[in-house]
Amino acid sequence: MPGRNEILSALAKSALDKQPMPVIDIAPNMQDLTGQFETNLAMVAGTLHRDATLELVQEKVNSLIAEGLQVLSLVEGVTGNRTLPATPHELKDIDYAVISGELAVAENGAIWVTEQHQHRVTPFICENLLLVVAEEDLVANMHQAVTKLTLESGSCGAFIAGPSKTADIEQSLVVGAHGACSLGVYLV
Amino acid sequence: MSHSSSATHAQQAEIFCRDESRVDWHSKALWLMREKRDRAAGSIPEWEQLRQLGSEIKLHTLTNLADLLQQFEANCQANGIQVHWARDGKEHNQIVHEILARHQVKKLVKSKSMLTEECHMNPYLEERGIEVIDTDLGERIIQLAGQPPSHIVVPAIHMKKEEVGDLFHEKIGTEAGASDPTYLTRAARQHLREQFLSADAAMTGVNMAVADKGAVVVCTNEGNADMGVNLPAVQLHSMGIDKIVPNLDSAAVLLRMLARNATGQPVTTYSSMYRGPKAGGEMHVIIVDNGRTAMLQDKILAESLKCIRCGGCLNTCPVYRRSGGHSYSYTIPGPIGIAVGGSKDDTNSIPWACTLCASCSGVCPTKVPLDKIIHHHRRLKAEAGQLPYGKANYMPLVGKLMGSQTAFNCSMSMARGALKILPGSLLKPFAGAWGKYRELPVAPKSSFEHWYKNNRSE
Repeated sequence: MPGRNEILSALAKSALDKQPMPVIDIAPNMQDLTGQFETNLAMVAGTLHRDATLELVQEKVNSLIAEGLQVLSLVEGVTGNRTLPATPHELKDIDYAVISGELAVAENGAIWVTEQHQHRVTPFICENLLLVVAEEDLVANMHQAVTKLTLESGSCGAFIAGPSKTADIEQSLVVGAHGACSLGVYLV
Repeated sequence: MSHSSSATHAQQAEIFCRDESRVDWHSKALWLMREKRDRAAGSIPEWEQLRQLGSEIKLHTLTNLADLLQQFEANCQANGIQVHWARDGKEHNQIVHEILARHQVKKLVKSKSMLTEECHMNPYLEERGIEVIDTDLGERIIQLAGQPPSHIVVPAIHMKKEEVGDLFHEKIGTEAGASDPTYLTRAARQHLREQFLSADAAMTGVNMAVADKGAVVVCTNEGNADMGVNLPAVQLHSMGIDKIVPNLDSAAVLLRMLARNATGQPVTTYSSMYRGPKAGGEMHVIIVDNGRTAMLQDKILAESLKCIRCGGCLNTCPVYRRSGGHSYSYTIPGPIGIAVGGSKDDTNSIPWACTLCASCSGVCPTKVPLDKIIHHHRRLKAEAGQLPYGKANYMPLVGKLMGSQTAFNCSMSMARGALKILPGSLLKPFAGAWGKYRELPVAPKSSFEHWYKNNRSE
């Protein structure tokens, strides 16, 4: 590739002196992680259900199904009324997806969600998202989160902080842009 | 109104400033973002430590870029990602088109990427029969309006909701006269869902490219990048060479600041990491130079590549807020646009769209010395004989005048006299463009030198 070699040799002419990688050493705020998480999740328009159980999530799912809604659950122990379709496009009418999160971050309300089946689009295409996270997987900040998260070769993952939102029209916040319109988090 | 025009910043700003109430509204909307940013930054006790780390991480990266880019490439390939290199915008567009043509792509959904704007990719692909749909709400608005972005984070910040309402009525069939942002956003959601579901390929920009993982990080609030990328088989990600970070620890530092400094949110709604294609799919990363290696050869300009595109410097800039994003000759407006686009500015005017107040440098999360870089651009223009507005003629005279104590004191004394006895209308033309929107100063009774002699000197 001529472009590659030319770019790399042009970089040899950089005027900047070598700079070492700094040591990242920031003391985490460990005070009341659940409280911090709840505050920040509310700030990003998500709702926290503290001290939840899988039975509680199942009850919620049952009531949604009773309302006639389409619910897909990828969480073991929680059953919806839809199964995984052949193509990701067929997920377009899912009203609620129930997915497990791997980590929750207290400082910003984000939850790390990894790829859990062949359709990566699930947490984004569903109208509403319910995430189930173990309270013991709550970390203080992003520095801690990135040392713990899983991101296997050939896969993907996302920090999800609240439902999708935009303020592109006159800076007024509208919840529900292209991704989920609401986010409920169950801390179990 | 677009960057293809060769009108100077002042001439373009004059168009924007005709409607004074709009200027006030625009300025306030952006200042609100600055205030939210201040609250978010203030809530993190280690904020200044993060800025210092951000600056050092980016400098470390820029000074080891060749190694890190090769490491990134090798790791991407190990993850099944195809890596391409483009020297300039034209090569970038050709590579993208080749990939799309190979897959017979008719419709491409794209999430926000200032790089593809910089490369003028949309018209290139459209001329070759590929429909490009911008999916970020703000980007879609300006795409439907046929305008370039006026801000790097909120690209339609210059438009009022009534204007968006009229545009949507005409283009996507919303009710006439409707201008409620929630209603319009929901309509756009429906309209763009159809596009996502019928796209043949998706493209995004890259916020960070993690060298030791061979993964790209894409941040959005709307979820449009993830909706796009995860439906069709083919996904493409375009990145400047400056987007590299060594590892996830570095990414964490920058992710803690990006959204807080942009809009005051603790983090963007989606910070997604792609470390390989979906099952049965293809993932391409296009690494673009387009002038960046040249910038690295100038010690001062090089630091502009530390930028993480949060837009914080635009929101705080007194000139940007009052002249609008379309006044700048470069795709990226505001202080960072002057820094990275100054060398490409054929109007020879954008380095002067700045008061050198340095507010931008003060809010920058990676400590890009924006005011210093902008000042440096003025010097580069002068050295290249490209000073604007006759500055080349009068600046040497000003220099001589300021350099001679006698000449300076004498002329200042004359100016004080003139300000006292002559009407403003007679004097103002001497102030040139400076005097156009400013009142002349009230003349003091005596010079500072005179006052100092009487009051302070021994």
